[in-house]
Amino acid sequence: MKIINAVLFLACLAVMFTVPLWADQGILFIAGLVLVEVVFALSWNLLFGFTGLASFGHAAFFAIGAYLCGYALRAGIGAPFLLLILAAGVAGAVAAVLTGMVLLRRTTGIHLAIFTLALAEILRILVGYSTALGREDGLASIPRPSLELGFASFNLASGEAYYWFLCLAATVIAAFLWLVCHGPFGRILVSIRQDPERTTFMGINVPAYRLAAFTISGATSGMAGALYAPWAQIVTPESAHWIHSTQPMLASLLGGAQSFWGPVVGTVLFSIINYSTRNLVGLSELVIGAVLLVIVLAAPSGVVGLVRELRRRLSARVSQTGPGTEGKVGPKGKLVQEAA
Amino acid sequence: MAPIDLLFTVLNGLSTGMAVFLVAAGLTLIFGILKILNFAHGAFFMIGAYVAYSIIGSNPSSLWIFILAALVAGVVVAALGFVADRIVLRRLRNVDEAYMLIATFAVVLICSGVVKLIWGVNYASVNPPPLLDGAIAAGPLFIPSYSLFVIVAGFVVYLALDIAIHRTWIGKLLQSVANDGWMSGLLGINVPFALTSTVVVSFMLAGLAGGLLLANQTLSPILGESYLLLAFMAVIIGGLGNVRGAFLASVLLGVIESGSSLLIPNMPGMATYVFVILFLLVKPQGLLGGHRI
Repeated sequence: MKIINAVLFLACLAVMFTVPLWADQGILFIAGLVLVEVVFALSWNLLFGFTGLASFGHAAFFAIGAYLCGYALRAGIGAPFLLLILAAGVAGAVAAVLTGMVLLRRTTGIHLAIFTLALAEILRILVGYSTALGREDGLASIPRPSLELGFASFNLASGEAYYWFLCLAATVIAAFLWLVCHGPFGRILVSIRQDPERTTFMGINVPAYRLAAFTISGATSGMAGALYAPWAQIVTPESAHWIHSTQPMLASLLGGAQSFWGPVVGTVLFSIINYSTRNLVGLSELVIGAVLLVIVLAAPSGVVGLVRELRRRLSARVSQTGPGTEGKVGPKGKLVQEAA
Repeated sequence: MAPIDLLFTVLNGLSTGMAVFLVAAGLTLIFGILKILNFAHGAFFMIGAYVAYSIIGSNPSSLWIFILAALVAGVVVAALGFVADRIVLRRLRNVDEAYMLIATFAVVLICSGVVKLIWGVNYASVNPPPLLDGAIAAGPLFIPSYSLFVIVAGFVVYLALDIAIHRTWIGKLLQSVANDGWMSGLLGINVPFALTSTVVVSFMLAGLAGGLLLANQTLSPILGESYLLLAFMAVIIGGLGNVRGAFLASVLLGVIESGSSLLIPNMPGMATYVFVILFLLVKPQGLLGGHRI
C-alpha cells in the first residue's frame, strides 16, 4: 500500500510540474490558481481538520498577504521576492495573533465563525475605502518579479517560469504544514479537536496551542496571498470577501477535512468541475453544490475518507483469504488513519 | 445634524430593520427549535423574490396582487422547504455545527445555480405597486409609503410569530420540543412532525419575505447574500433562536446601518460589523440569551 501511495504521490508531482509543457495558457493559469488555493485550503484545514476551529474570515489573511506583495511589487521597492513572501507570512501571523488573542480565549463554534467573518468584512470595507490600495478597483497590473538567489537570478515574468516557481513554493509550504501536522504538535492539535477538556486535564495549555495553530494558519494564508498577487497580476477587495473565505472550506470538506491531503484533492476537484461546466452559467454551482451535499451527508470524511474506506475493505477482503487476518487493519492502522 | 435628519434616519433604520427581521424571522425560528443555523435561508428568500417576480412582472397592477404574489411565493418556498427537510435538514440533526453550515452552504450553491439556470444572470427590478409608490408627507418629513409598508409588514409578522409561540398551544408544544425533544416524544408529542412543520413555516417566512421586499431592489442571483449576513447578525445578537431578541436586534442593526450611512457614507456596513464585534465581546449570549425561542 505504501508503494502505491508513493507512486501516486510522485505521479501527482510529475503532473503538477509538467503542466506548462502540455497545457495551453488558460489551463496553465487555472493550474496556478489551484496551487495558490491549495496552500490556502491547507492553511484553513490546519485549523478546522486538526484543531477543530472553523474560521469564516480566512480570506482576510489571504488579502493581507496579497495586498502587501502587490503593493510592494508595484511600488518597486526592490525587496527580494522571497523576502516579500516571508513578510506576507509575518503580516498574516501578526494579524492572526492579534485577532486570536482576543477571540480564541472566549469563543469557539458559531461565535468564532461570526467574529472572524465580521473582522474580514471590516478589512474588506477598509481596503475598498483606501485610495492607496486602489479602492474597489484594487491593485492592477502588478509586475512579476525576478528571483535573486545571490548565485543566480531567474526572471519570473513569463507564465511558465512563474508557474514553476509556484510549484516549488507550494510544495515547500505544503511540506512545512505536513511536518506541523504530523509531528508531536499536530498530535496535540488533533487531541484538542477531539476533546479539549480531556486535553486540558493532560496538562496541555489548550488556548496557547489553539493560538499557535491560528498563527501558523494565518501566516501560510498570507503567503498564499503573496503568491497569488503576481500570478493574477491584480488584487481586488473581493479577495477578502467572505465568499472567498468559503473556498477553502468547501475544498476541505469535499476532499476530506480529517486527512491532510483532503483539501488538495478537494481544490483540484472543484477546479475540474468549474472548468468542465464553464459554458453553462449556473450549472457549475449546481453540480458543486450537489456533489458537496452528497459528500457531507453520505461521506463526511470526504473523497479521501471514501477512498480510504474502500481500500480498507478491499485489503480486509484480501487478507481474509490469506493467513494473518488481523495484521493489516490493526489498531495501529486506525490510529494512523485518524492522525493523518 | 438637524432633528429632521435624525427622525428620517430613525424611520429609515426602522424600515431597514424590519426588512432584516422579515428575513431573520424564519432563520431564528429554525435555529431556536432545530438548533440548525440555516445558511441557505437567504437563498430561499431569493427564490421567493424570483417566484413573486415571475407572477407580477416589473409593474404590479395593485397592492393586493403584490401581497398575493408574496403569499404564493411563501407557499412555493414552503413546499421547497418540505423537500429540503426530507433530503437535507433531517439528516443534520445532531451533527457538528460546521457540517451544518457546509451542508446548508451546498444548498445555497444549488439554489443559486438553479436560479441562474431558470431566470438568467441579468438584473431585474420591480416597482412598488400603485398604492405604495409615492411618499406620505408628515409636516416637513416625506416618508416613502413603501417603507411604511415594510415596517407594518415586519410588525405583523413579528406579532403573529410572537403570539403563536408564546400564547398558543402550538407554541407551547414547540417550546417543549425545543427544550427536550426526547422527553416531549415520551409525552406523546409527534416530534418529527413538529420539527418538519417548523422547517416548513420557516421556509414559508423566507419566501414571504422575498415577495414582500421585492420592490425597490435589484433582483439578481446575489440577492440572497445581501440580507443574509445582516439577518445572521440579528439572530446572533438577539440571542440565538429567540424571536423577540431577533426582532429587537434587527431594529437595532437597521438603525445603526442607516445612521452610519448618514455619518460615514463611504464605508457601508462598517458600523454594523464593528457594533456586532463589540457587542458579542461584551455580551456573547446575546440580547435575550438564555430565554429559548
